[in-house]
Amino acid sequence: MKNTFKLGFIALALSAIAACKKDKIEPTDSATLGTDNVVLKIEHTWQDSLEFQLNTDLVNPLTGDSLNFTTFKYYISNIRLKKADGSWWTQPNSYFLLDLSAQGTTPSMQLTGVPYGEYTEVEYVLGVDSTRNVSGAQDGALSPSLGMFWSWNSGYIMLKAEGISPNASMGGSFAFHLGGFSGVNNVVTKKSHTFVGNSLSVSGNGHCQIHLEAAPQTLWQTVGSVSGNSMIHMPGSGAKTMSDDFFGSFEFEHIHE
Amino acid sequence: MISLARLNSNTFMSNWRWIRLLAVIAVGSLIVSCKKEQVEPYKKWGFSKPDYFPEPVYNFDNNKQTFQKFTLGRELFYDPFLSSDGTVSCASCHANSHAFAGHNTALSPGVNNLLGTRNSPSIANMAWSPSFMWDGGINHIEVMPIAPLTNPVEMNETLANIIAKLQQSEKYKKLFKEAYGTEDVTDQRVLKALTQYMMMIVSNNSKYDQVKHGEATFTDAEQQGYELFQQKCSQCHTEPLFTDYSFRNNGLDQSFSDGGRFLITQNENDKGKFKVPSLRNVALTYPYMHDGRYYTLNDVLNHYATGVQHSSTLDPLLENGIPLPGNEKTLLIAFLNTLSDYHLMTDFWLAEPKH
Ligand code: HEC
Ligand code: HEC
Repeated sequence: MKNTFKLGFIALALSAIAACKKDKIEPTDSATLGTDNVVLKIEHTWQDSLEFQLNTDLVNPLTGDSLNFTTFKYYISNIRLKKADGSWWTQPNSYFLLDLSAQGTTPSMQLTGVPYGEYTEVEYVLGVDSTRNVSGAQDGALSPSLGMFWSWNSGYIMLKAEGISPNASMGGSFAFHLGGFSGVNNVVTKKSHTFVGNSLSVSGNGHCQIHLEAAPQTLWQTVGSVSGNSMIHMPGSGAKTMSDDFFGSFEFEHIHE
Repeated sequence: MISLARLNSNTFMSNWRWIRLLAVIAVGSLIVSCKKEQVEPYKKWGFSKPDYFPEPVYNFDNNKQTFQKFTLGRELFYDPFLSSDGTVSCASCHANSHAFAGHNTALSPGVNNLLGTRNSPSIANMAWSPSFMWDGGINHIEVMPIAPLTNPVEMNETLANIIAKLQQSEKYKKLFKEAYGTEDVTDQRVLKALTQYMMMIVSNNSKYDQVKHGEATFTDAEQQGYELFQQKCSQCHTEPLFTDYSFRNNGLDQSFSDGGRFLITQNENDKGKFKVPSLRNVALTYPYMHDGRYYTLNDVLNHYATGVQHSSTLDPLLENGIPLPGNEKTLLIAFLNTLSDYHLMTDFWLAEPKH
């Protein structure tokens, strides 16, 4: 007994020394060293340079519509980060509902427990993966009580954009509920962005951030003015076109440590 | 008595009401048991697949079956408190006395006596159903209750309000704690508990089932009706669940005020198609069809024999209707009557909880 204890102690002590040494030589090389949080932020812009705003009259440069948004929410899920060595860190249970009226127009997502290391790419899914659309009652960000689940035609509303507009065909208001997770009208989109030659080194300073940019006005890029159609409330080609256009606008902006 | 003793010792301990009830039953059955074994529930509590049924679609992997969750689900199912004005419960439209279908009205009133557009189907054997609603729009039983809970013409409530109401109820605090370990009310917990109750609604004790088990025999008329059924109906109303769960147009109309499956798929070829309903307990669940247009089985058979309407989505099997000459209708009805499961309607576990 005593001997095993002693041995254990020595082993522990040795590994402690080893860890310290290693730490000094190669501070960011091993996942066993520690983890830190990384923040993923998405800035929503209007007309490429202005800040996107809710409850404000905005003119869509693509269609000329005047739009005043009361709601803008959408899902991001399945976030992964690629390490310099090509392997991936995957966030477990990775589901976020970005609600711009509650979180502001540059909402953040906390990636907790990211192992120390050099990262070169971020991947994520816009919308909720098909599995969670068919697996029964979910909770957290996926709770149906958040109003982002269709009760009569099961599936998540991946994006909700609502507001008022003098141009709208439907009595001065617009409501686009975009979703669909299967077949030709599947809107769920996987995206990835490299950090354009840079790498994000996660080493415990607690300040790592990845910034992306998205442009809500692009929702109407192909479908045109809300005077043509101001309401979508089920999966279909309209939802597919609008979400493809918006999801296509996501771009990498910068990283900082 | 074995099952009661087991439940008594490990699952009911914290629930005095149950213990009291069980004590009464236990004493009662002790007295009676010398003569007849009648008081004990006719089957043990717990989901089990009848041996000649296919594998259920629902599995309890993410919703481990416990008596406490089931009990919570049963309370919720019978509680009008969940509706916006406290008048309508799930059981208002899915009554155990009617084999878990509506109260024999074409449409079932929701809050403020508002009516929807479709007939309340029996919700027996949902564990085997791959989709829900007449149009199959709902893909999982756990999310099924969201539709009636939030539908303005049914229970007209928001999930957030339901959570808030339940959180304030002493009764439910206790039931949630017993079921889930904490008093926290979440929609997921509500939905999974309702599912636990619904999964237990298994109809497998009709005369038809007893014949399958060699415990009863069909009369001549029932036997002939069964053979006719197998020739003429079972392509769609497939045994042993009496549906193949496909969506079909059985020729009710030439043009469709309710698009049915089309509303979900937006596919023109699905216009006027509805889910083939199970025919278990069919004699008890009139009126018939998605809109409750026929009140008797005779009307239904007349439809198949002479009333089939042609349209581009009519099922090819019904191109010439289903001729039912001579006494074939009478024989078919004799068989359909054997699908009534009277045990289900008096099932001890499924009945409204007494307080
Ligand atoms: C006002 C009447 C009403 C109430 C209340 C009601 N339902 Fe229903 N239920 C219906 C109708 C009508 C349908 C068929 C709807 C359709 O197909 O569009 C249905 C369908 C269903 C189905 C699917 C059956 C199948 O074969 O596809 C299930 C399961 C169900 N209800 C469960 C419930 C639960 C659980 C509750 C309580 C939370 C509830 N219902 C409350 C009327 C009601
Ligand atoms: C081609 C497929 C098909 C065949 C064959 C068929 N049915 Fe049906 N049956 C359906 C469909 C689909 C419905 C639901 C239609 C609706 O409501 O729009 C239905 C509904 C019914 C209903 C109403 C059940 C309820 O709860 O509302 C009864 C009863 C019925 N069928 C009996 C029969 C009998 C008896 C036969 C044989 C004589 C038969 N069916 C043959 C497809 C079929």
